[in-house]
Amino acid sequence: MIRRIINLLDRWFGTKEAHRNFLARALPGKIGVSYCLGGMAFTAFLVSVLTGLLLSIYYVPSGTEAYPSIVTLHNEVWFGWGIRSIHKWSANFLIIFVALHAVRVFLHKAYRPPRELNWMAGALGFVLIMASGFTGYLLPWDQKAYWATVVGTSMAKTVPGAGGLLVRLLRGGPEVAGATLVRFYSMHVLWIPFGLMLIFWTHFHMVKRQGISGGL
Amino acid sequence: MSQNGNKKAFYPDYLPFVLVAALIAVEAIIASALLFPPRIGPAIDLTAPYQPKPEWYFLWIYQLLRYFPGSWAIFGTVLLPALLILSFIFMPYIDRGPRGRKKSLLVGIVLFTSLAVLTLIPVLTGR
Repeated sequence: MIRRIINLLDRWFGTKEAHRNFLARALPGKIGVSYCLGGMAFTAFLVSVLTGLLLSIYYVPSGTEAYPSIVTLHNEVWFGWGIRSIHKWSANFLIIFVALHAVRVFLHKAYRPPRELNWMAGALGFVLIMASGFTGYLLPWDQKAYWATVVGTSMAKTVPGAGGLLVRLLRGGPEVAGATLVRFYSMHVLWIPFGLMLIFWTHFHMVKRQGISGGL
Repeated sequence: MSQNGNKKAFYPDYLPFVLVAALIAVEAIIASALLFPPRIGPAIDLTAPYQPKPEWYFLWIYQLLRYFPGSWAIFGTVLLPALLILSFIFMPYIDRGPRGRKKSLLVGIVLFTSLAVLTLIPVLTGR
C-alpha cells in the first residue's frame, strides 16, 4: 500500500530521484554531534509552527478580545496552557540552537566560499527569528507585553529625521493600540513565517548542492 | 574537498543520529514547557506604567541603551546593533585576503563576548 503510494508520487513528481540525491549525498567521514545543531534548530521551528497553528484556533487578535481569549485558552481549553508553554519554549530553544549552529559553522570556517550565500541566508533567518520573538511578545496583550512594545518601538524615535515616521509605521498610529496588535499579529503569523520558509528552502537546497564542509 | 578522505552517505550513516538529535530537541522543549509554564500577566493598565523587561534574547539591547543616554541614544538603539548584525551577516566578506581568518576571528570573538557580557550583566544584577 505505502509502496504503491510512493510509486505513484514518483511517477507524478519524480520524488525518488530528488530524495535519493538528498539521502545518498556524500558527507565527510568524520563529523561530530555538533553537526546536528542545524537540524535541532529546524525541529524547534517545526514545533513552534505546529503549536502556533493550534494557538491561532483560539486566539483573537483584537485590542478588546486578545487578553480574554488568552485567559480562556490558558484556563479553560484542554491543555491550552501546555500548548502555550510549548510554543514559548520552542522559541527559546530555537534561538539557542540557531546561535550554537552559527558558532559551529563559524568555528569550522564553513561560511567561506562557495558557501558565503548560505551563511548570509542563515544569518538573515536568525534576524527574522528575533523579529518573530519581538512581535510574538506583544500578542498576550497584557501589562508586560504592552509596555515592552511601547519601549521597543519608541527606540525608532531616535533615528534622526525619519524617527516619527518609523514609529508610526511600527505602531500603526501614534500610540501602541489595537492597530499595533493586528500589525504585529500579521507579521508574526504570516509575513515572518513565510519569509523564514523561503530562507530555509534555499538554505537546505544549498546544503544539498554544495555538501557540508569538511570541518577543521 | 574533504581532508578526511573516507566519505560516508547521509543515509544510512548519519540520518539516525539526526533523528535522535531531533527527538532530544523535542523532549527538551516539552520537558521545559511542562516544568516551567508561562503565567497570565495582569491586564493592560495605562494609568500604571511600569519598567518592562524584554525577553532574554533582547537583554543585550536593553543593556546597551543604558550606556547611551540623551542625544547619544541612537548609538544604543540603531548604530551599534546595526553594526553588530551587519558584521554577522557579512562575515564571509570580512574573511578575505591572506589575514582574512584572523580578521573574522577577531570580529567573531568581539561579537560573541559583547553579546554574552551585555546579556549577563542584567541577568546577574537582576535590573
